[in-house]
Amino acid sequence: MNSKVLSIRSKSFLMVCILGLGWVFTGCAPAVLTPLPAEHPGEPRETEKTETTQEKISPRALAALQLTDQGRMYLEGGQPDDAIGILEQALNLNPTSGMNYYYLSEAWLMKGNIVQAAEFNRLAEIYFKDDSEWLHRLMQQRERIKKQKPL
Amino acid sequence: MTKKKRSIGVVLKRLFKWLLPLVVLMAGGILLYCWHLSSQIDQRFSGRRWRIPSKVFSDTTLLYPGQQINRSLFNEKLRRLGYRQFSRDPQNKGELYTSASVVKLFLHDLTLPSRHREGVPVRIRFTGNRIESITHLNTGEPMPILELEPEEVMLFFGPDREQRRLVSIDQVPQHVIDAVLAIEDSRFYQHKGLDPRGILRAMYTNLRHASIRQGGSTITQQLAKNYFLTPKRTLIRKLKELFMSLTIETMYEKNEILEIYLNEIYLGQKASVAVSGIGEASFFYFGKSVMDLSLNEAATIAGLIRGPNYYSPYIHKERCLKRRNMVLNAMYEKGWISDKELKTVLPLPIKTVGYESYGKIAPNFMDYLSDQLNVLYSPQDLSSLGLSIYTTLDSQVQMAAENALKRGLERLEKSNPALGRKDPKKRLQGALVVMQPKTGYILAMVGGRDYSLTQYNRITQARRQPGSAFKPFVYLSGLDKLTPASILSNEPATYEVDGKEWRPQNYAAMTVKRVSVRQALAESINLATVDLAMKVGLDQIVSTAKQFEFSTSLKPYPSIALGSFEVIPLELSRAYCVFAADGVLPYPLSLKEVLDENGKTLERRHMRIRQVTTPAKAFIMSSLLRSVVETGTAGSMRAMGISFPVGGKTGTTNDYRDAWFVGYTPDILALIWVGFDNNDSIFASGAGAALPIWVNLMNALPQYVSGDWFKMPPGVVQGIVCSESGQLALKNRCPHPVEEYFLAGHVPSDTCQIHTSESQIGRIIDELKGFINTF
Repeated sequence: MNSKVLSIRSKSFLMVCILGLGWVFTGCAPAVLTPLPAEHPGEPRETEKTETTQEKISPRALAALQLTDQGRMYLEGGQPDDAIGILEQALNLNPTSGMNYYYLSEAWLMKGNIVQAAEFNRLAEIYFKDDSEWLHRLMQQRERIKKQKPL
Repeated sequence: MTKKKRSIGVVLKRLFKWLLPLVVLMAGGILLYCWHLSSQIDQRFSGRRWRIPSKVFSDTTLLYPGQQINRSLFNEKLRRLGYRQFSRDPQNKGELYTSASVVKLFLHDLTLPSRHREGVPVRIRFTGNRIESITHLNTGEPMPILELEPEEVMLFFGPDREQRRLVSIDQVPQHVIDAVLAIEDSRFYQHKGLDPRGILRAMYTNLRHASIRQGGSTITQQLAKNYFLTPKRTLIRKLKELFMSLTIETMYEKNEILEIYLNEIYLGQKASVAVSGIGEASFFYFGKSVMDLSLNEAATIAGLIRGPNYYSPYIHKERCLKRRNMVLNAMYEKGWISDKELKTVLPLPIKTVGYESYGKIAPNFMDYLSDQLNVLYSPQDLSSLGLSIYTTLDSQVQMAAENALKRGLERLEKSNPALGRKDPKKRLQGALVVMQPKTGYILAMVGGRDYSLTQYNRITQARRQPGSAFKPFVYLSGLDKLTPASILSNEPATYEVDGKEWRPQNYAAMTVKRVSVRQALAESINLATVDLAMKVGLDQIVSTAKQFEFSTSLKPYPSIALGSFEVIPLELSRAYCVFAADGVLPYPLSLKEVLDENGKTLERRHMRIRQVTTPAKAFIMSSLLRSVVETGTAGSMRAMGISFPVGGKTGTTNDYRDAWFVGYTPDILALIWVGFDNNDSIFASGAGAALPIWVNLMNALPQYVSGDWFKMPPGVVQGIVCSESGQLALKNRCPHPVEEYFLAGHVPSDTCQIHTSESQIGRIIDELKGFINTF
């Protein structure tokens, strides 16, 4: 009975040794949670894709866009307070729209509050980092904010 | 005879001599009295004629195709907005048709400070709880967005508890005027305030029918009585009423008198509130503006003037019908309606709209709002100026919040009888606030379990230890020195605080001695958090926390890392918004706009933001807090049916005195607190007591669940690190490489030192030794 147990233990020990050596020479077989890059493991990389990236505009974003457009029209009509009210609604409906921030900045600029205008301009940049056209507009807006004296 | 004649002449002469001055004196007195009355009348009528309670409105409701909604909350909302259910397609404003897959609405007019929309018929088509399409029924065109009008949620009543909507005489249709005049004062435009013919006719009619069928008072007399006099029936009062009527008639045009009268008259009772004026009565009885009243409805309201509660269509339908017919017949007799009109309307029933008593929805929210309004307006102004106050409140969220809290607390009491209390004021309590993190809009607030028992607002007034719910601010402080992959010590340590030893402990015993920052926050590990706090520096933590504008005292003691300093729940909730709002701290907004009774804006509040941390740090914090829900202390959320990405943190204080959960998405944030006011133990953790309430709330609000997560901002990079060392992972060597977020410039520069070839061999040898030693 004892020799039988010993034989099983010896076999197990042998197996562990073989597997252990195999592991040393072949490297670990990791349970990779996320795929490693082909080269330069561990090197930081800018990732452009996020969970919110959407190929198609969602109905919610479409609805928010209607409000953004109304806000823009109020701005064109020289009604910054009305514009802000509706752009806030748009922002609540679609918190990831850079346009809302852009127009909010524009509205605060119109009201002469350059601190709030600068804040919204800065926030808009987060959502336009891949859009060169809007980034250009943002930079222009930033310049206008810098030039405007507080009312 | 001559002598007799002479003596009569003398008597008459004497009488005349005495009487004339008396008459002149009396006339002068009356004139003086009328002059006195005129100044009294002028003073009363030239200023504010009525106290109009200010109204508080919720925010508007947005609907759009593709939106998931809670059908029962939505239906309830429509009912509160005054939409009436019909079994046919809606034909008039405020009518509603509902089936399983379709809601057809004839919208009310939408009048907001900045815009006006006429009511139009629309069709909302559903698939389950999802809005498939919204169609404008007049044009057949699809609508990408539909805005429902704000809901009237509170009135600031004065001591008289009267409610009225003022109408101009130009707005009142002729048939409404005719109905009122026919039954109350048909010769209104002919007399001068007193109508002797009317009195005689009333006397004759009443004698003929042996009952009081008609009153002799003119509309002007009624107005004088209602406006200036007591209802007491005395000769003096009657005389005063007479003189006052004559004075009013000389001072004002007929139409002006009629307008005041129509706005003044008492027309019913809505619970404890008096319904005054024809404008309010039109809405109270028929759910429409006076301009839209039909002949049937006009006659019904006119019939109420004599006895609004006696003839109320809500209480005495038959009596009301008879009275309405009396008005219609009177109109016909005067020739103000045709025979055809009379015959058409007489058989019609009186269809009232139904009503709800003026309640106080969201009482704690309203108290919080009132505190702000009281800075701007006196209580007298609020109860008399007829202001329109627009707020951020979402009544659907409020209903869901109240329900979730109630059910959650009942569940806890049921599961643990030790939580039961006989005294209702000492019962287990809870509080909840829901915000939109980007704008700081407060959507709902529940400050306690039962407002009628205690008005103490645990969201805005309570100061409670946050426990682990404070940890995110500690971790944020460390992001300049540490990364989510940095390794912290999880070994017991002793700290000295004010000369005394302090030995923090973990919530549950743990064998692991080293944990990553991510794991430490996800699992709310106390020892590792204190280790982080000491590495970062306590002053740094206090300085970071102060950026979040906590008004309570925070001191640089090691226990700050475990949330030992009290906070106000609303401030904690607001502070969490920063993580969900790209690093900006929003001002908690409840009041949006105040308009005077003419629609002129008096006060306007917009979202106000201030950057307190970078978008990159806020994003990393959200990522860490998402791990709390994915793999940490709030992991049970998944089993409760929440499948969308959520960031959050549980909190439990010593002896289970407080249970917290703060959870958020990019769209919505809610804070839940559960505890006893007297600090008794609730024998449950934040995950066990507060988290299920959050889940129930979110499950009831599909309209706020987009399923989105935060977009990675500039300044954040990703890298693959070894989960054991926190250093850059070695390909095919590190057993558990993980992808981690870092602030740009904070990515570890060293490769893993645990899983190098040398260390691997050493580890194998160690393992083999250990194995052999087991024999």
